[in-house]
Amino acid sequence: MATSAKHASWALAPAFAVLLAFWLLPLAHLIVLGTESRDSHGSGYWQVLSSAQYLGSLGQTLVLAVVVTLVALLIGGISGVFLARQHFFGRSALVALLTFPLAFPGVVVGFLVILLAGRQGLLASLGLQLAGERWIFAYSLAGLFVGYLYFSIPRVILTVMAACESLDRSLEEAAHSLGAGHWRVVCDVIVPGLAPALASCGAICFATSMGAFGTAFTLGTRLNVTPVAIYNVFTNYANFAVAAALSVVLGAVTWAVLLLTRRLVKNSGTVL
Amino acid sequence: MKRSSLFVLQLLFTLLVCAFMLVPVLMSLLAGLTRNFFVGVSSGLTFDWIVQVWQAYSPTVWLSLQLAVACAVCVCVIGVPAAYALVRMNNCFSRAFEELMVLPVAMPGLASALALLLTYGQFGTFRSSWLFILVGHVLFTLPFLVRPVMAVMQRQHLPVLEEAAASLGAGPIKRFFSVVVPNCRAGILAGVLMVVTLSLGEFNLTWMLHTPMTKTLPVGLADSYASARLEIASAYTLIFLLMIVPLLIALQAISARLSRGERR
Amino acid sequence: MRALSKTLAALALCGMASLAQAADTAICYNCPPDWADWGTQLKAIAASTGVQVPLDNKNSGQSLAQLVAEKAAPVADVVYYGVTFGLQAQKAGVVDGYKPKAWDQIPAGLKDPAGHWFAIHSGTLGIMVNVDALGGLPVPQSWADLLKPQYKGMVGYLDPSSAFVGYVSAVAINRAMGGDLDNFAPAIDYFQKLAKNAPIVPKQTAYARVLSGELPILVDYDFNAYRARYKDNANVAFVIPQEGSISVPYVMSLVANAPHRANGKKVLDFVLSDEGQALWAKAYLRPVRPMKMPAEVAAQFLPDSDYARAGVVDYEKMAAVQEAFAARYLNEVK
Repeated sequence: MATSAKHASWALAPAFAVLLAFWLLPLAHLIVLGTESRDSHGSGYWQVLSSAQYLGSLGQTLVLAVVVTLVALLIGGISGVFLARQHFFGRSALVALLTFPLAFPGVVVGFLVILLAGRQGLLASLGLQLAGERWIFAYSLAGLFVGYLYFSIPRVILTVMAACESLDRSLEEAAHSLGAGHWRVVCDVIVPGLAPALASCGAICFATSMGAFGTAFTLGTRLNVTPVAIYNVFTNYANFAVAAALSVVLGAVTWAVLLLTRRLVKNSGTVL
Repeated sequence: MKRSSLFVLQLLFTLLVCAFMLVPVLMSLLAGLTRNFFVGVSSGLTFDWIVQVWQAYSPTVWLSLQLAVACAVCVCVIGVPAAYALVRMNNCFSRAFEELMVLPVAMPGLASALALLLTYGQFGTFRSSWLFILVGHVLFTLPFLVRPVMAVMQRQHLPVLEEAAASLGAGPIKRFFSVVVPNCRAGILAGVLMVVTLSLGEFNLTWMLHTPMTKTLPVGLADSYASARLEIASAYTLIFLLMIVPLLIALQAISARLSRGERR
Repeated sequence: MRALSKTLAALALCGMASLAQAADTAICYNCPPDWADWGTQLKAIAASTGVQVPLDNKNSGQSLAQLVAEKAAPVADVVYYGVTFGLQAQKAGVVDGYKPKAWDQIPAGLKDPAGHWFAIHSGTLGIMVNVDALGGLPVPQSWADLLKPQYKGMVGYLDPSSAFVGYVSAVAINRAMGGDLDNFAPAIDYFQKLAKNAPIVPKQTAYARVLSGELPILVDYDFNAYRARYKDNANVAFVIPQEGSISVPYVMSLVANAPHRANGKKVLDFVLSDEGQALWAKAYLRPVRPMKMPAEVAAQFLPDSDYARAGVVDYEKMAAVQEAFAARYLNEVK
């Protein structure tokens, strides 16, 4: 008799123990910390939820993360499928080179964006030559967006390439032989086939973008995404109550969006 | 005719994406070898910056490698059984656990690190050792192993294989190690690749968890970008690249060979 | 056999040496290699007292936050930060009183009477300019100059809500524009006007970016500008704005329940000793103890007539209003 679900659940014990001890317990500590108040300003949560500034920053972070995820899925999807289907010399080296930006800390990604789009960047020199003025966007929302894309695209490419390996080519061939055009095949065969991988990868990209700190920290854009707001509060005389409250709220919002997406995907019938 | 123009478009698009990813990196590497970035390449190329960086920061390279390997081992030990359990259970508890697992990725590292410090900071020896950083890395990279392994396990018709093994008299633990794990090698290796990459580059958590005695490469890298010359920071990035790219290529090649073998 | 025993003996010596090294450590929060030339200072400390201090790159705010988070089991022995953070650390109870040797020579307003913090050197705020990166434009001479459209996209200042230098910039500009610590309206008004000039607002030191030309104009300290000019040989000019500026002290403290308390004390003694203070002078900071600056260093500073434009403020008050100002800045300057 194969292992029943009940017996298999024992295998979950080590992971659960680690998460309980090193994540849930500290998280509880953090949640409680957010209820403290300092200098009669009200509890951390009250300060966060009643401040237009913090709520605005949460909204901005959410929108940025969603847009980055969707664009990364699109760009990474197209390139990933293409790379998976072509075989040429040096392909695995190219893929390794495309993967290695994943290892970059956000701070370095920020500096790479400055190299690309800062005052002395590549695009600035290009702009000077072509149009007589420097094209600088590193320090605006566009720069932040490009930075987030930079560490999201490799993730999608890797996942899509792995998922392509297990796509059933015979379905595509059947569709072609029945007269379906290229775009029909893409929309009705390839995308649904890749959907589970895309959804799971999109979830990770979204979560990473919500929690990303280093890039925004380096670029110093005047748009304070929530992780930077948390840092600001943290270093402003160690205001842990508000920092904790902001972190918990950010985590809760991310979790809610992930749950919602999972439910929507399940309702659409795709097996996750 | 239409097919090939589509092919060309896709090729150009992919090349553009590759250029976007690689050109800034190449620029950074060049800066690490240039005598004076402000003047440009005309000021001459030199290895001086690399030597300077290695003298100042080589301990960070070893510590990061040590952490990455230890992290991969720990995550495999707790993650592979967890993936198996989640795939077999497939009920609301397992789905809740999956969401729980992703949360350390969603919450800024600063907050998770603060929480860890406040809860376990009073154990002085533990807190000042590299194990404290390891805990943070394991929490952050766990979902990146469990998810690919789950995906592979779901495809592999494991229940059939397990039933066969069980009917031949193998107990549950033996079945796990001799049937489940070997069949998921490709997924496990793909996950390990991701875990090692992420651990080598993990900054947000490590930033608060480290002490000046346990500084990792990303923290040192961020420090040098902040306070030293751009040439030094770029030279440091060059060393980082030299360290990580061969590792990634090797892991990639092994996992590609394994997944090809699996499909035969 | 002899080779083997020689190798073993060598290994044993190395082991003992590393143990000895491990014993003589002190951890400093916020001792970055290039800021105020801490690199040279730490090497001198190791040579003179035998205490090894690893470099650390936090800024004042992060150091204080880390100290508070680690209150139960501190990791640091000494900490270096801006004066307002020293005052706050004392309030938070994370630092101990310690009066190093040469305590009496520190002027009264620059130390806590019980020794919880004391100044070791000070710097003056001004405008640091990479002349070559200006592309032919004139070097700005006043705060008002920075608002001119010709410098659009070229001006940078550190974030007043998270960096000490940023807060000092705000206080200096405020004072120069006619405000005081009770009234920050002139500063807020100035930053709102500056916001139209596309400034870059880093959250941490941007020294490297000034040198590379990415950030041609930065509101920063004199010692960073002199270091760029004379040590890194960049064409950098330093200007004390016509409307005025301020000088601020940087202070150090002994951390409460420090793990290597005795070593920490040795470090603090050294930075106030003759040798230590002379090293600060060579790094273009003004040592806190009254001493004659070496002639060649003094010649590299701007003339005293320029420095007459830099005043001082009440540091306790400055610390007390910091949080409120940071909140106001975040709300009103977009």
